[in-house]
Amino acid sequence: MSTPVVETPRNRFIDPKVLVKIQNMELVARTVVEGFVSGLHRSPYLGFSVDFAEYRDYTPGDDLRRIDWNVYSRMDKLVIKLFEGETNTKDLILLDVSGSMNYGSGPVTKFDYARILAACLSYFAYHQRDGVGLVTFDTTVRDYIPSARRAGQLPNILHVIDRATPSKETEFKKPLRHLAEILKRRGVVVVISDFYDEPANIMAGLKQLKAKGNDIIVFHIMDDFELTFPFSENAQFEDLETRKKLHVIPEYLRKHYLNILSDHLKQLSAEMAANRIDYTLINTTKPLDQALFNYLAARSRTV
Amino acid sequence: MNLLNPFFLLGGLALSIPVLIHLVRKEKTEIIPFSSLMFLLRVPKSSIRQQKIKNLLLMALRLLLLALLVGAFARPYFTQTETPVAATSNNRAIVLLLDNSYSMRYGDTFSKLTAEANKRVDALGAGDRMAIIAFNDNAELLTSPTGDKAALKAALSTLEPSYGGTRFYEAFTLADRAFTQMGATEKQLIMVSDFQRSGWNRSSHESVIGTEVKTETVNLSVENPSNVGIDSVSVEPTSFTRTYAGRVIARIHNHRRDQPVTVPVSLALNTKEIERKSATVPANSTALVEFTGFDLPLGYSKGRVRIEAKDPLDVDNDFLFTLDRREKLKILVVDSGKPRQSLYLQQVYSSALELPFEMKRIPVEQLTPEELGNHNVIILNDVPRLSDRARDRLNELRKTGQGQLVLLSGSADVGWWNAFTAMPVKVTQKIIVNKDRGKFSFALTTYDRNHAIFKSFEKSSTMTIGTAQFFSYVETEAKKGASVLAKFENGSPALIESATDDRGLLVMTSGIDGISNDLPLKPAFLPLFHEFVHYLTRYSESRGWYALGEAVPVIGTIESQAAAVINPNGDRTSLGDLSSGIAKFFTPTQPGYHEVRVGRDVKIVAVNPPSVEGNLAPMPPEDLLASVKRLQGEAQQAGLMTDDAKADYARRQTGWWYLLLFALLAGIAEIYLANRSYSRS
Repeated sequence: MSTPVVETPRNRFIDPKVLVKIQNMELVARTVVEGFVSGLHRSPYLGFSVDFAEYRDYTPGDDLRRIDWNVYSRMDKLVIKLFEGETNTKDLILLDVSGSMNYGSGPVTKFDYARILAACLSYFAYHQRDGVGLVTFDTTVRDYIPSARRAGQLPNILHVIDRATPSKETEFKKPLRHLAEILKRRGVVVVISDFYDEPANIMAGLKQLKAKGNDIIVFHIMDDFELTFPFSENAQFEDLETRKKLHVIPEYLRKHYLNILSDHLKQLSAEMAANRIDYTLINTTKPLDQALFNYLAARSRTV
Repeated sequence: MNLLNPFFLLGGLALSIPVLIHLVRKEKTEIIPFSSLMFLLRVPKSSIRQQKIKNLLLMALRLLLLALLVGAFARPYFTQTETPVAATSNNRAIVLLLDNSYSMRYGDTFSKLTAEANKRVDALGAGDRMAIIAFNDNAELLTSPTGDKAALKAALSTLEPSYGGTRFYEAFTLADRAFTQMGATEKQLIMVSDFQRSGWNRSSHESVIGTEVKTETVNLSVENPSNVGIDSVSVEPTSFTRTYAGRVIARIHNHRRDQPVTVPVSLALNTKEIERKSATVPANSTALVEFTGFDLPLGYSKGRVRIEAKDPLDVDNDFLFTLDRREKLKILVVDSGKPRQSLYLQQVYSSALELPFEMKRIPVEQLTPEELGNHNVIILNDVPRLSDRARDRLNELRKTGQGQLVLLSGSADVGWWNAFTAMPVKVTQKIIVNKDRGKFSFALTTYDRNHAIFKSFEKSSTMTIGTAQFFSYVETEAKKGASVLAKFENGSPALIESATDDRGLLVMTSGIDGISNDLPLKPAFLPLFHEFVHYLTRYSESRGWYALGEAVPVIGTIESQAAAVINPNGDRTSLGDLSSGIAKFFTPTQPGYHEVRVGRDVKIVAVNPPSVEGNLAPMPPEDLLASVKRLQGEAQQAGLMTDDAKADYARRQTGWWYLLLFALLAGIAEIYLANRSYSRS
């Protein structure tokens, strides 16, 4: 499916402000992914393929259907054709639904952006024949749809994404530990969050998943105002998670705030790099293609 | 400090504008939802506080700037400084006002006063001069201005608490006079007192001191003083009976404001305690204690009411008075022997037992010259004539102070009475008004209102003598030197007094028989005839007591005699010779019993300190100073200010200049701070 927007050279990838107006999450995902893929000149319908690995001697009990009869005719020897294991991966998307995600300086909140991204990734993965699952979390795991590649999986995921509402505070340690315990197979774990927690806690959670052999892709969603702090008037700032209020004189606090934020981002970036986690900081005013590129790059490593 | 343009202070309201803006803006602060305060909360608090402080500093600077401008436009000037004496300055004139009224006897107040005074003397610098004034009711210069500390201390050592009251006016007046004499450039008035409110009398003259005089007060008043004292004792000082019929009523005042007190109250007479009672006095109130019915010896008795109050001010626990028991005045009425002729006179002088009169009536035939000598007053009631011996005896007795009243009426032998040379009148004829003058009656219309006899009728409307009708009288002519005290409406004398060299003879030209006139039926009759006797006997009621400082009269007797006063310490003060009817006054300076001697007569006078001093309630010294009128010194009033004085006068008004300078500095600081703050933002 193509839309005039997608074909506009300036909007190589669709603008989040437009996407957020589309209520149907599947339509959003399809719009994005198909436009994105067409831009890559790769067919989304290639599916997966199995590669030949080696031959081995037939032993009784082997499936007769797997005997390579061409070899038997030439060499009069029964051999079994072995293939490399299944190439489709299990993707699990972790979507932060904490209250801070509900912030947006413009029409697109961080959560809007995050769930479009989550929907796109789910759609993309599903149609790549990958198993896909979804976890929403704040201080604990809210919804969990295990990774699978069965019919109805995508609508399920999109439905959960659609009805998710951000409310509570953020915590990484506890929900990620919980996930690490229940995940049996390694795969690609995509974490979409604004990471309002201590880097140590965040890394503690992610490391547990990493330790299970998962490939982790992190999308750090930040609003433009959070990154630039362009406020000028004195105001009371209200924390969307805790509802605490603070009287802020932006002209005096901006410098300190940006320094602290920069330190936080640097620390996260450095620690993730050290743990071989793909980390991408995304400004919600930017299109989604960067996120999808990152995902594909990560997936190609896994495959 | 004062202001030349105090209305400019209204500009101070502008100070509220920045504060109001601050408050209004604060209320309208917008609430912005933000994802998380996690990073904002990590901003160092000190930085935020620093900014707040910077803002507050800016606001304070702006407020200060406004306040300074307002202050400068109000033009402050300094009238005095409250700085205590510094030992370094030179050529100062200091007047030390020391309160030695009797309230300073309270506890150790007086020793505090002397200590403070000594301290002030010690603090005198070289070139300083000091005058010490002690004041109570009066102000007294203890030392003339001097810089000699030893002399000042010697003067202080003689200072004792007095028994006088407090009058600040006198102190300020004398201080002002002292300053005029001293004429230094820097003048300082130091007042050490307990600042009793009672010493400040609004109705008294306004105290005045110069504007250039710096004032300082040392307040020795006591917080919630505990004092019970006797305000006054009311007595009837003269008694004619052995058992005192009057009442001694002591008014006891509890000056404590917080609790009532119960005190034993005793009455002593001639140092012997007569009676003891107990009185409960509510807080800040008074109670009355009454004594009566005790025996009184003849002559003066020294009375004392005492309360056994355990308070630090003992002086007002005693109250002295005197009681004078006298014999009754003996009156002899001589008439012609007609029945009921002296009935009205008898009624006048013996109608009640407590009257101070003892009357005897005899007909003229029985009168012996010896009998005449036994009485204080002789009344000749329409006697036709007397024997020559009796007449001569009367002339003699008058010289010893006897009073004589002659009532001339129808029975009088005109020839004999005209031959009686001592008579102040010459009888011309007997008049029956209806028959001889063609009128029903005459009224007594003119009388000497200033005469002692008529004094008591002066203000009375019910006891008017003019209502009496006279139907017959004896027409007379007053002799030379005699005084006509009352006249009938036709100008004929009604009451005549003998000349001053033969004082003691009164003639009334109408009889008291109920026929000649209806005077005996009028209310004025009885007091008028009592007054006749009082006057003729030179009767005077003594006062029960005098307050310290009050003038006590000493009146001469018949003969010219030496008078003297002996005070409670036994010191005798001569008042010189006192002739008959002349009064001299003495002012006691200490409380106690004073003996007043005129010839051989001895009179006791009780003197008490002013009870108002017992009320120790203080007033703020500032109020007292505020009530003192500040006038420029004489030199300044005359436009003869010295260069130094002019410089000082100008200097005291330069406050606005400094305020503007500070305002400028504040403005510069504000501009610098504000610029720094905005350039950062």
